[in-house]
Amino acid sequence: MTIVATPGAAGRSPMSEQRPAFELRDAFAEHGPSLLGFAVNALRDRGLAEDCVQETFLRAWRARERFDGDRGSVRTWLFAIIRRVVLDAHRSRARSPLLVPEHDAPESVHETDPLERIGIVDGLAQLSAPHRDAVVAIHVTGLSYQELSERTGVPVATLRTRVFYALRALRTALDEVDPTP
Amino acid sequence: MNDLEPDRRAELIAAALAGELTPDEGAELDALRADDPTIDAEFAELSAVAHALPAVERWDDVAPSASLAARIAALDDGGMADAPVTPIRSSRRLMRPLLLAVGAAACVGLGLGGGLLLAAPPAAVEGPPGTLGAVEEVAFEGAPESVEIDAALVAHTWGTETVLTVEGLDAGDAFTVVVVGEDGEEVESGTFLGSTVPIECRLNAAVLREDVAAVAIRAIDGGQIAVAEVPAV
Repeated sequence: MTIVATPGAAGRSPMSEQRPAFELRDAFAEHGPSLLGFAVNALRDRGLAEDCVQETFLRAWRARERFDGDRGSVRTWLFAIIRRVVLDAHRSRARSPLLVPEHDAPESVHETDPLERIGIVDGLAQLSAPHRDAVVAIHVTGLSYQELSERTGVPVATLRTRVFYALRALRTALDEVDPTP
Repeated sequence: MNDLEPDRRAELIAAALAGELTPDEGAELDALRADDPTIDAEFAELSAVAHALPAVERWDDVAPSASLAARIAALDDGGMADAPVTPIRSSRRLMRPLLLAVGAAACVGLGLGGGLLLAAPPAAVEGPPGTLGAVEEVAFEGAPESVEIDAALVAHTWGTETVLTVEGLDAGDAFTVVVVGEDGEEVESGTFLGSTVPIECRLNAAVLREDVAAVAIRAIDGGQIAVAEVPAV
């Protein structure tokens, strides 16, 4: 199996003459979890992440007349928007340190260039759950394929191919220039 | 081109990236590389991605809260039509740093009958170490007796290129080239696979030659294979 990224909701038939509409509730039901997954793992702050998702759908709703299904799927469009929203939130947070009780403080994140880290999280968020789970288990958590196989019941050979295609999809995602919404 | 099933190719590359090839699988992958020079290139590209992944630290699976769903529903009902939208900037840079940071490697096996060679450097430039474009021979020390390494550095405006010809490293095992700065900071330059035939690699690191103190070749578990101390420039 080589298909990794989850397909968009409003794919348009090449023969269709009618632009696909942007339906906010449908889009949220289909893509909200992935968008929130990206925001939560990029920012490590659940409240801020939900605000980013809300901001993303607000911007999409306001720009819905300009959405062009010929240029990409709803999913691609929403990810392009939330990428900007999350980046702005990250920069804003970095500029405005707040004094908060220790137990309320957002978790610290790795000292890697935050933009680099957010880019990787973005790519992971767009993988299917089985591919993401496998690549995270092997290359983030550090499990061996045998250990992961014993935990999941999935054969080692299947896990290896999942990780291969996940890495390939990540490589492609990181090399793409995102479309302007 | 080998007629191997695509998923077997994928499986072997994934196992090599994790350092989990069995000896038989290592030999199988090495034989496959003789017919399919894209394997080394893809291995190097995917290795760069795999090495960047630990920065994520973990992945939290989450579901939208009822509160968020209600806010989105309210938006659809027009309840937030007047909410302000903050101007945004282009996020193009967001997608670029990883590819700049992880280094790049290109390797081919020599003597495979295909006549493949990596692109030669531009016109030869002569000069002392640190001269832009000049080829600076360096000597790796500490390698096992069975391993032969010929190496050179080339100073560029963007960093330092390492050119390696390596023979004798275990086929199918992954090895990383690390540039060590004068301040001790290490920058990964790329990863390549050992082979039964000599391998020529060109690996790039965004560290200026004047800031390089040494170049090391390491096994995937971090164990040092060989190191080349280089003169200050």
